[in-house]
Formats: sequence, C-alpha cells, structure tokens
Amino acid sequence: MACTDPAASVGGASASPAPLIFAIQHFCIHDGPGTRSVVFFKGCPLRCQWCQNPESWRRETELAHKGHLCIDCDTCVDVCPTGALTAPGVWDPARCDLCLRCVDACPAAAMVRFGEPRSADDVLAALQPEFNLYRRSAGGVTLSGGEATLFVPLATEIAQRLKNQAIHSTLETCGLFKLAAVQPLLAAIDLVLFDLKLFDDEAHRAQCGAGNAGVKENLRALVRRAASGAGPRVWPRLPIIPGITSVADNVTGWASLLQEIGVRGVTLVPYHQFGAGKRSWLPDAPAAPELGALSPAELARSAAILAAHGVQSFAPGAEDWRLAGGVATRG
Amino acid sequence: MDITDAIAETTTPLPGDLGRDEVVDLRVHASVLPPPTARIVRLREVMRATPCSICLERPRLLRAFERSREGKLADKEHATIRRAKALRYVLQHRAPRIYDDELIVGNMSSKRIGANYYHEGISVNILEDIARLETRAVPLHLTAAEKRELLKLGLWGATRSIAARSLGRPGRLSHFAHLLRPRRYIVTEEAGISHQVGGYADVVQCGLIRVDSRAAACIASGLLENGSPANADQLAFFASVRIAVEGVVAMATHLAEACEARAAAATTTPERRDELRIIAAGCRHVPLHPARTLQEGLQACWLVHVALNLEDYEQGLSFGRLDQILGPLYARAVGASASATDVTATTHADTSRIVELLASFELKTCETIPLFSERVDMGFSGNTVGQAITLGGVDAAGDDATNPLSGLFLDAFAQIQTREPNMQVRVHAQTPEWFLHKAMAVVQLGSGSPALFGDAAIIGALQAVGVAEAHARDYAVIGCVEIASPGRTYNSSDAALINLPLCLELALNRGRQFPGPHGSRKQLGARTPPVAELLTFEDVVAAFRAQVVDAVDEVAQVLSWLEPCYRAHRTTPVNSMITEGCVESGRDVTWGGAMYDMTALQAVGLADTGDSLHALRRLVFDDKAMSLTAFVAILTTDFADQEPLRLRLQRRFEHYGNGDRRADEMTDLAANIYADAIGSHSNSRGGVWIPGFYSMTCGTSFGSVTGALPNGRHAGARLSNGFSPVDGSDASGPTALLRSAASLSTQRWANGGALNIKFDAHTVRGRVGRDALASLFRTYLVDQAGMQVQINVLDSETLRAAKLDPNAFPNLLVRVSGYCAYFNDLQPEIQDELIARTAHGVH
Ligand code: SF4
Ligand code: SF4
Repeated sequence: MACTDPAASVGGASASPAPLIFAIQHFCIHDGPGTRSVVFFKGCPLRCQWCQNPESWRRETELAHKGHLCIDCDTCVDVCPTGALTAPGVWDPARCDLCLRCVDACPAAAMVRFGEPRSADDVLAALQPEFNLYRRSAGGVTLSGGEATLFVPLATEIAQRLKNQAIHSTLETCGLFKLAAVQPLLAAIDLVLFDLKLFDDEAHRAQCGAGNAGVKENLRALVRRAASGAGPRVWPRLPIIPGITSVADNVTGWASLLQEIGVRGVTLVPYHQFGAGKRSWLPDAPAAPELGALSPAELARSAAILAAHGVQSFAPGAEDWRLAGGVATRG
Repeated sequence: MDITDAIAETTTPLPGDLGRDEVVDLRVHASVLPPPTARIVRLREVMRATPCSICLERPRLLRAFERSREGKLADKEHATIRRAKALRYVLQHRAPRIYDDELIVGNMSSKRIGANYYHEGISVNILEDIARLETRAVPLHLTAAEKRELLKLGLWGATRSIAARSLGRPGRLSHFAHLLRPRRYIVTEEAGISHQVGGYADVVQCGLIRVDSRAAACIASGLLENGSPANADQLAFFASVRIAVEGVVAMATHLAEACEARAAAATTTPERRDELRIIAAGCRHVPLHPARTLQEGLQACWLVHVALNLEDYEQGLSFGRLDQILGPLYARAVGASASATDVTATTHADTSRIVELLASFELKTCETIPLFSERVDMGFSGNTVGQAITLGGVDAAGDDATNPLSGLFLDAFAQIQTREPNMQVRVHAQTPEWFLHKAMAVVQLGSGSPALFGDAAIIGALQAVGVAEAHARDYAVIGCVEIASPGRTYNSSDAALINLPLCLELALNRGRQFPGPHGSRKQLGARTPPVAELLTFEDVVAAFRAQVVDAVDEVAQVLSWLEPCYRAHRTTPVNSMITEGCVESGRDVTWGGAMYDMTALQAVGLADTGDSLHALRRLVFDDKAMSLTAFVAILTTDFADQEPLRLRLQRRFEHYGNGDRRADEMTDLAANIYADAIGSHSNSRGGVWIPGFYSMTCGTSFGSVTGALPNGRHAGARLSNGFSPVDGSDASGPTALLRSAASLSTQRWANGGALNIKFDAHTVRGRVGRDALASLFRTYLVDQAGMQVQINVLDSETLRAAKLDPNAFPNLLVRVSGYCAYFNDLQPEIQDELIARTAHGVH
C-alpha cells in the first residue's frame, strides 16, 4: 500500500479513492450545539503531532491490531491467503491485498479495519434513529474526521439531505482546503467549527506537516461571508497543547487575528493523551509525543489573553453559540 | 474566581464567558440545588455515623403479648382479631424516642438505625451470623445480653414462621431446601408480602377516623356497606381495623407525650421547645384526623408507615405520590396555587423551611434496614428496604401534575443523598423542563437517584392487566421498580425471582444442569427432548419454553402453600385500612380485599438468555458452524480449550443493547416466553400474575449456580441485570442501548423492570451534561415509550474498579470532543488517564 503524502491532498482537491468513514459516534455533546452524531471521515491533509485520532490520517482502508485484546491464537495467520500476515499483529503491507479475512476471522476483535466505504444512504440510515434526539436537544450532525472537506460530494450530499429534514449540520475542519471547491458543502452546512493550531507558518509546518497561509486565508474568507449572511456561521476552536499551542505568543497571535476579523467567541479544547494508545494499533504511526498534562493555569492564561482581545473562551460543549459570527439558519 | 473550578464545572463560565447562568430563566434557576440547613447537616451526620443494629422490641413485645392475660384470652378469638390485638399491644407498649433536631418524629425501632425482627418471615436466618455480627459486610452492633435475647427470641419465633407453617410438612421439605440454596427460583414471598403503596392521600385528607367509623358502622349494623349481611370473618375484619387504629393512636399519643416532656425539660432551648410543642400537637391530631399543615401531613404519613413496618414486614413499603398528596397543604403553607410551576413565587425563607421539613422526613427513612443473613444478602444486598417516593407524572385526566413540591422533594434528597428513600420520577410528554433538569442535577451527584419512569409505557402495562385508566395514571412506584395504583392495590410484587438462563441450560440437557461445580445433579426441570432431537431452532425454543413453564409452575405450587398461611396467620389490618376495596368487602388484603390484586414474579438474566438464543440460532442454525450436539458438548465443559469460540461469541456476535434488531428480537422472545408462562397463572386471592424484569442482586447468586451459556458467558459468572444488556456487550452508545430497551414488549410487564445505564461523571458534568441527559431520557421515555431507567454517574473510584474488571463497565460512556473510542476498547494506561481526568475534574 502506498503511503499518503499529507501535503499532496488538500481539502476540496480530491479525486480517486472512494470516501471512507471510520466511525459514526452518537450522543456527542462537545462537538457543536446540543447532542450530536459525529461522522468521522478517513483522510487528513495534516499530521498534527498531538492528533487524537491517528486512524483518521490515511485515506485508505487500514488494518490495525489492538494488541491488548489479542489472544495469540494465530487464526489470522492461518487464514491469510497472501502470506502477508506472519505473526499476530505483524504483516507486510506490500503483500497484503486487504482481503480482510484476518479481520473476519479474529475471534477477539483484536484485528480490525479502519475505514469503510459508505454511501450517503448508508450514513443517513445510521443517523436517522437519532433524529428525535437532535430535535429535542437542538443538536444535529457534525462532519469530522480526518477532514470532511476532502470528500466534498459525499459530505455535501449528507449535509443537504439533513438540511432537507431540518436537521442542523456542522462541519469541523482543519481549515486547509480550496475554498472554491468546498463551496457546495458550505452551502449545505449550518455551522463551521474551524480548528486553529499554530499561528506561525513555520511552526505550523513543523508541528502539523503543512503551512497555515491557506488556513488563515480561509478563516478570514469564511468569517467575512458569514458576517454578510453568505455562508454558514463560523466558530473557531483552539486546542491547547502544552508547550505548543499554549505558549503565550501563539495564543496572542490568534487572539489578534480573531479580534481583527471580528470573532467574539472561541472554544479552548484542552489537550489530553487518550489518543496516544491508538497509535500502537497502527503499524506505521509514529509514537505520540510526550507532552505531559495540561495545567489549569495554561488554560486560564490562554483564556485571559483572548479576553484581553475581546474574545470569550468556552469549554467544549459550553459555548454560547449566539456569539457565532453570521446569521443563524435556525434557532 | 478560581480557574480550576471554572474548568471543572462547565456550568461556570470560563473568564470572559457571558455568564449564561445569569440569564433569567426558570429552568436554570430551578436546577440549582439549595444547600442543606445546619439542622439537616447535623441530622445527616448523625445518621451516617450511627452503626446498624437489630431491634428486639417487636418480638419481645409479641412474646409478652402471647404470655399476657389479654393474649391468652385472644387465643379464643378470630385469628385476625388476635393478630390485631398483638399489633395494638406492640404499638401501645413500644417506647417513644424523640431525637434531637428532627421535625418529623416516630422512631422506627428502639435503635437509631435498626432492623426490625420479623419472626413470621425469615429474620431467624440472622442466627447463622450470630458469631460474627460485627464483622459481617454490613456489621450489626449488639451487646452480649442482646445477643442472648436474640437467640432466645429467634428460637421462640422459628416455629411461628410462615415457611415452617407452610412447608414444614412431609412432601414439601425439598422445596424448603430449595429456599436455602436457590437455583431455578427463589420464593421471596416466604419472607413477607409487604411491598405496598398505601392510600396516603386518604390518611392525610380524611384521617384514619374515616375508616374507623366506616368499620364501626358495619359492626353496629352487622351489614356491609352495600347492605348485605356481614359474616363472622367480615365482622372480625372490621374489628381488626378498629383495634389497629387504636394502636396507631396510642403510639402517636405516646410520641406526643414524649415531645411534651422534652419540651418541659430545663435543658431544652426555647426554639426547640416551640418545635416540640408543634410536633406534639401534630401527633395528638394525626393520623386520626385530617392533617392541617404540611408538617402534619408528613407526620401522618410517617406514623402510618411506622405502624405498617411493625405490622408484618418492611420490604418495599412506599409512600406513593407525596407531591400530589401534600400539594394542597403545601399550597396552603405558601399561599399559592400548588399547580403553579413557578417555584420562584414563594419566598426563599418559605422554601428553605419546607425543604428542611422534607429532608427531615426523608432522613427518617434511614432508620430502618433489612435483616438478612450474609447468605441471603448475596441475593439482596444494598442494605435497603426500598421506601419509594414517587414524584411528577400525570393526573387522572392525563394532564401534567408536577408541582413545586415535586422539585422540593428532590432538593431535600440532594441535601442528604442517603441510601433511602428511593426517589422515583415520572416522565411524560408534558413533564416541565425545570423538573427534569432538577432530576438530572440530582443524578449528577452520583447516588443513582432518582430513577426515571415512562408514564406512557407504565400506564399502558397497568391498563393491560385491568387497571382502570384513571387509576393507572395515578400509579406510584413500590420499592425499586415495581408499580401499583396507590391505595387500591395489593400486589405481592416481589413474590419470587426466576433464573431464566438456567431454564435454557435445562432445555439443552433434558432438564438437568451441565455437570460441573456449579451444577446440581438432580432432575431440576422438565424432561424435554435430548439435544440430538432438537433439529430446528424452533425445537430449542419449545424446549426452553417448556422449562420456563415448569419452573413457573413449581413456584405456583409453593405460593399456593404460602397464601393460606398468610390468610390465617399474617393478616394485616393497617395495610387493609389504607387499601380501597377492603372495607367495602369486609376482607383483609390477604383475603383478597383489595380493588386490584396481583402476584408478581421477576425474571433474572433476561439479556443473557436473549443473547444466548441469538448466538445459538446464528452459530448452529444460520451459520451452521457446528451441530447443536457439538456446541452443547462445548458448553458442558464450560468452553474448555475453546477460548477463541467463546470470545467470538462474546465479542463478534450481535448482542441486545446495540440497536440490532435481530439480537433485540431474541431478548424480546425470551421476555415473551416468560410473560406467557406467568400470564397463565392467578393467585388464590383472585388476583392476576404479572411479570417483572429486575434482579436485585440475584444475578450474582443465580449466576453462581448456572452453567456456561451460548453467548460465551462462563459457568458461575453473574447474570445480566434487569433488562440491561449483558456486561461487556453493548458498544454502540446510550442511544442504541435505549432504543433496544424501548423495543421490548414492555406493555406486558405490569410489574416493571430495571434498566441501568452508566456514564463517566466527567462526560456528563455541568449544565451541558444536564441538558444532554434530559433530552436523551425524554426521547427514550416519551418518544420511544421506554419504561424505566436508572442512571449511574460513575466517579473515579468506580471507574478504577471498572478497569480492574474489564467486562464490568464496558457500556460506560466516555465522550471527549472530537475523540473516537469506547472505554473498554482502550488500553489500561489510557483508561488510567480517563480515570485521572474524572478524579481531578480537569480538562
Ligand atoms: S487483509 Fe488479507 S491479505 Fe491482508 S493481512 Fe489480512 S488476511 Fe492477509
Ligand atoms: S486472530 Fe486475532 S486474537 Fe488471534 S492472533 Fe490474530 S489478532 Fe490475535
């Protein structure tokens, strides 16, 4: 299997492989207004060091091995037709043709696949039983990933069909996309959760695998459009990564930009290490960096810097969406 | 403001947040739980610090009565008159105890926290533990002299127990043995029927004087109220009611005297003196006369409750809809309409005083504990007797009946968070937001209370067994999950529990258990065909059905021996005087006097059974992976050398609780087979049999004697709880779990069921968490007509235990923004991280 070069794929600029989804998770309460389902698209143009969903990086179906569940029964080895799998958890991607027999045969659910091609029909069917709860909680669906803007046609169809049923949809994006190509999706979306990382372009490249000039450009454009009612509302989110995004200069940089473009609220997403363990499931994911725990003081300092720029900080799920720029489509 | 707090509690805004809590909004206002007063803190701390004990006053007085002249004379009278006189003797002679600070008086026993001793039931079992009372899991503190007296009274009472009277005969002794080591079933009715939610509305509004004068009129005329002549039994019943009322009044009067004596003591402060005089005046007035104030209303309910406790047995004696019953008195207290939902209408001082009164009432329920030996406790641990208070719901016309008192009862509970009382909240389409949010705020405290009940499902289930619509709408919870139309029902709601998965084991082995340390070698069940003759899945289902019917029939046999003994030896005049139908018919509740009469049997291990039927069908009949004979051979060895197969069944097969229709249908099939078997019986009082789906902690004791199951469960492992999924099997989140639960045919479950759902405290904290829980459960209970749910919000300590036992809390919901994972799917180190997050409240 070829490894995806992150820089080679940018949101909106996709052709080829069929879009994959690696999870649909319900009862999410920190990913937009109300109670939501999150649709996780597989594939991302960035490679943030601290990423909590490393299984979202590549656009292709991947095999993974959850070592702590494995009972070393060798069933997977026995069923592998290509000889790629030589021992539990050990396989040669070059010889593997992704027949998934090992996954089907594994009794312990240790050998798993990440990424399944799913049609809009299929996704809607998975979301439909949750519609009542969205309505009761003023929630909806969040398209996330990975990066949903890599898959504009599918993401747009899902969002549009939700809109037709008056279900609120949110796009959670890393901000790296070709604006024109993502236009159809934006037209169908109610709210954009726009993730900010490093303010400095070089630092962004070093930590996330790509520069951020396009990200800032897109942020400005989206906020401008929202303000004029020509696009979905926009709400930035800043993960507070200890020693990386939490440093004062970085927060100040974003705070100034947000102030300049008239954004009034931001979500501070506290760093956690819960994704670190998932890296060992994937054969070629680099280990997560040792960052230590986030201190409340770092979070407080970030909030204070933003407040000094007239931008109010919120914990995930506790946002006052009335501060979101632009015109609400509903509510 | 401290930033740590700001982050820990998302209801508190980060610096710079608009401060949404300042938005003037009734719902937000009402969600804030007021802190306890100093009095409630003191009372709560006393109850927490007081060790448990056993009270011997009741058996001591009953024995004294038996030996008294009055008792000897009573020997010649009708059995129910004798029983009433014995109760009157206890109520008259028990020593009144008034405790510091309390606003509602009436000691439940002679100990501050004590178990009453019921020689008629199974209290004698405690003698098994007599050498280690202080070192048991629930230690009981008794002096050496008390232990000697316990032994003496225990032996005196043993021959008078219902089990000795009904089963201590040739031909019945094997069933007696089964009671000691339950496998297929346990007949809880052997201990007592109890489990009543009486007509407290009448107690408060009319006083016992009304029922007393009705009984007096019938005795005077020799006629029933409908004009037909009363026979000797009926006249004896009316006499028993009058005697019992005398006893209750005597007890209340003695309490009033004790209050007055205390008030007169030089050491009593002037404030306390005033309080005691008000309490004394109340006890001289209620429960004989109608209550004039909210405090008297609570006092009246409490005194009748104490009398019920002393009359026969204590399990599940519940108060019903106290917000409805006391609503008019509350309105009078605050000078507002009780139906107004605007809790801000009353002044803060008023509200705080009323909440203090309610908390004082609720704390009284902590004075009693059940008396189970450790062996019995294996099936019924928790140290609770289940005194339920039901709040909210619809009125007789189907309109919302929630009132300010509904919320204040929850406020009071939030201040004490004790093991009793059981708070039960009814939810329907018009349940106000503020009330549901307050309930969720209390749930967030982590005590597992209140539980939620869906009006639509429960009212429908009661109507299906003949309860009139208006009466069904008035339902209240008995104990933990059982339901009844209060003051009109005699439901032996906890008569027996049946081990459903064991019935499947028996079906796969001609009515015998699989060999092994867990199994009995006897022919336990029906002689269904050998496995080799079970050629289709339908054959397996038929064999299972036959085993369920056989087990239920055997329970019916045992109950048919118990019921006449109740009629003869355990009549309950207090219970009968607060149950509609008894005075009308001149019959005690044990004689079938109640307007609605029922007996309820619970199924244990429902999801294990359903998942096993599904696994068996798929593996053997759909996938044809092996023959039934081969599969059963593997089960008989408890999956020896078959770990891959066992894991496949556990981790790769579909399970109930994930919104998977095929798996859910099998669980419903198991429930329906059980309901069919139950529905074919009736009791000797003329009442119907109804099914319930809850387990107490019998999942552990039944599990320990049940063999390997087709769903991959090992022999001896505990069984699934209530109608909750099997531990470790639901991995699709709470919405799927609730959809599965709501898909079951709960309209047939007139005795209710228990569904547990667990959340990580950090995920559902603050107002975001309350909002999310409220809409989640409204969707389940209203849109999907779900029946019941109990919500456990787990703190870090519990999560640590979950980590040690990977299958214990797999359905635990953990949510972090943008993060995709399930708790049980995570490596131990990551679980540690999540636990630390919950422990510190950071992130
Ligand atoms: S997917 Fe197929 S080829 Fe690849 S390792 Fe698994 S069994 Fe072998
Ligand atoms: S089949 Fe699964 S459990 Fe067995 S060795 Fe392979 S990965 Fe491990």
